[in-house]
Amino acid sequence: MRDLVSGFLRFRRGPWEMLATVLIGLGVVMLMQPLFLWAYTWSFIVTLAGTVMFLVVSHFPE
Amino acid sequence: MQVVQQIFENGSFMTNSVITAAAEKTPPSVARKVRGLSDRAIAWIFVAPTIFLLLAINIFPLIWTVRLSFTDYRANRLNREVEWVGLRNYERILTDDGIWMNMQATAHFLVWTIVFQVLIGFALAYLINKKFKGSALWTTIIVLPMMLSPAVVGNFWTFLYQPQIGLINYMVEFFTGIPASSFSMLGSVELAPWAIVIVDTWMWTPFVMLICLAGLRSIPDYIYEAAEIDRASKWRQFWTITIPMVLPFLMLAVLFRGIENFKMFDLVVQLTGGGPGSITELASINLKREAFEKWRTGYSSAYAVILFVTIFGLASIYVKALNKVKAR
Amino acid sequence: MSAHSITEPSSGTKWIAGILVVGYAVVTLIPLLWIVATGFKTPADAISYPPKVVFDPTLEGYVNLFTTRTRVTPEQLEALPPPEGFAEEIVRSYGMVIAGPSRFGERFMNSVIIGFGSTFLSIFLGTLAAYAFSRFKIPLKDDLLFFILSTRMMPPIAVAIPIFLMYRELGLSDTHLGMILLYTAVNISLAVWLLKGFIDEIPREYEEAALIDGYTRFQAFYKVVLPQAATGIASTAIFCLIFAWNEYAFAVLLTSGTAQTAPPFIPTIIGVGGQDWPAVAAGATLFLLPVLVFTVLLRKHLLRGITFGAVRK
Repeated sequence: MRDLVSGFLRFRRGPWEMLATVLIGLGVVMLMQPLFLWAYTWSFIVTLAGTVMFLVVSHFPE
Repeated sequence: MQVVQQIFENGSFMTNSVITAAAEKTPPSVARKVRGLSDRAIAWIFVAPTIFLLLAINIFPLIWTVRLSFTDYRANRLNREVEWVGLRNYERILTDDGIWMNMQATAHFLVWTIVFQVLIGFALAYLINKKFKGSALWTTIIVLPMMLSPAVVGNFWTFLYQPQIGLINYMVEFFTGIPASSFSMLGSVELAPWAIVIVDTWMWTPFVMLICLAGLRSIPDYIYEAAEIDRASKWRQFWTITIPMVLPFLMLAVLFRGIENFKMFDLVVQLTGGGPGSITELASINLKREAFEKWRTGYSSAYAVILFVTIFGLASIYVKALNKVKAR
Repeated sequence: MSAHSITEPSSGTKWIAGILVVGYAVVTLIPLLWIVATGFKTPADAISYPPKVVFDPTLEGYVNLFTTRTRVTPEQLEALPPPEGFAEEIVRSYGMVIAGPSRFGERFMNSVIIGFGSTFLSIFLGTLAAYAFSRFKIPLKDDLLFFILSTRMMPPIAVAIPIFLMYRELGLSDTHLGMILLYTAVNISLAVWLLKGFIDEIPREYEEAALIDGYTRFQAFYKVVLPQAATGIASTAIFCLIFAWNEYAFAVLLTSGTAQTAPPFIPTIIGVGGQDWPAVAAGATLFLLPVLVFTVLLRKHLLRGITFGAVRK
């Protein structure tokens, strides 16, 4: 856990990439889930944020 | 020239040290300039056409799509004034119940095809990995459906699914006694979503199987031997060695099938055309209606951008998974 | 038996595994065999219930696939000279005469032209780019490679909207050139990734030796690297060809006549009261056959092809 936090703070690729992956996954689930219309509405923003984040953080050092 | 021949004839690198010694003595930049184009120039000449083609046929249209997505442009009415509508297209799509239903139809298709393909594909790979006689031949046979044209094959499946004359209905009657003409796989609201899952599973299970097989074959024997010495049961070996070692490969297969089925068009459009009603109208089929039948170009551009971004996100995860497997 | 490894499955296990796999393979082949069989049935046999497994094979489906026919009155039929060849004979037995060739041959040729054209172009450009990516330092290499791959993942329908508009402006709609360029753009990502994998495996020492011998970089590339990569190039080409051959979404949206390929055409073959299934099946058989042959040729490299070269064995 400490590693993860310090990874975030020092802009390491691993934890940030994980966060972006989770965001993209969340966005995709929100897009296609059958339960809440509001989740569908906001899914695109979440996916977009995750994707942009992924593009940026994949240039952080390992 | 002689050195090259020597290497080829010997098939070994006995002269290697000589070569490197010689190479080190010549400053590379000087050596290369003397021989014509520098490596840098060649690199650019080689890469440029590819990049140019992709810019022209992928990126430029993509930017155009993004631009159009903020307008109310209609491609079938050329003389109409095009108005800038800001984010309204996105707003309308993302609050539209109908499109939300299309997304759920896509989800049903995507989730169940992946579940079946992973279960059957992994089981097949596991069995083939027992290396029985002729396993290579049968693997090739099993792979065949995956390589065929989805549209042509999908069209023929509508024939197999016919209630009166189709082979599938006949087989169902033969094995279960349910009269063949009493149900229509593609015509009924309950069955159609499963009919498309069946055909996709038939077609793409081999894909998951091949990747799982690669995963299974990447596990070195000595790990199992060590487990055997430790008297770990076969069951335990399966869950603590086989599954974790195959998992990265399985992830790759799932992600790829997920991306492919998220944008599924050809197979399903031939099978059901999105019907009955719009029960099997997946996102791509719906988008095709909006863009090429209703000609709401601006609106469907926004729709396309939403699909783009989703796929782009999934693709970046896929490449990450790809590199993970590559490292093995 | 002492050398027998403990990880080697017992012969009983092998038998069970073999039976299950063969069972699956047989079931999975039924639809394909049914396509081939239906192509040799009469329309009546094709739609009989229960489905006929044993039937008198006929070439009617193939005749209907390649011809258009018109109905004539019995008197007119009487007045005609005796039929030439089996095709006339089959058609006349239905009270019709052959009016001319169908569009199938043309559409099949379109598939061939567009398939080979785009394969050649993607391999040509792809080999150059793959070599550069494999051997040289290129700024932002990983980003470029990801960008190239991501273009292949894009949903065809979404890409087709701007391509449709662009081609309309440029006059490329429904032309062979337009389709070749489009399929090349889709295939080039696969070509670059696969070929880069193959070229990575060729030891650099070969070229370095050639460079020392006075070859230019370019000569080293085509006299040393290309021959070594020949197998890789061939299998990549087959993958590209299969993709272009099978593609449907772009073809159905961007072509309608002159450049239409076979996949959008085959489902539109209709007879009396709906699809002419024997003719459709005959068309499908002819269309799928090359791919089946190629798949058998490719079997060693399949895995590479479907994972963009990431999984090699």
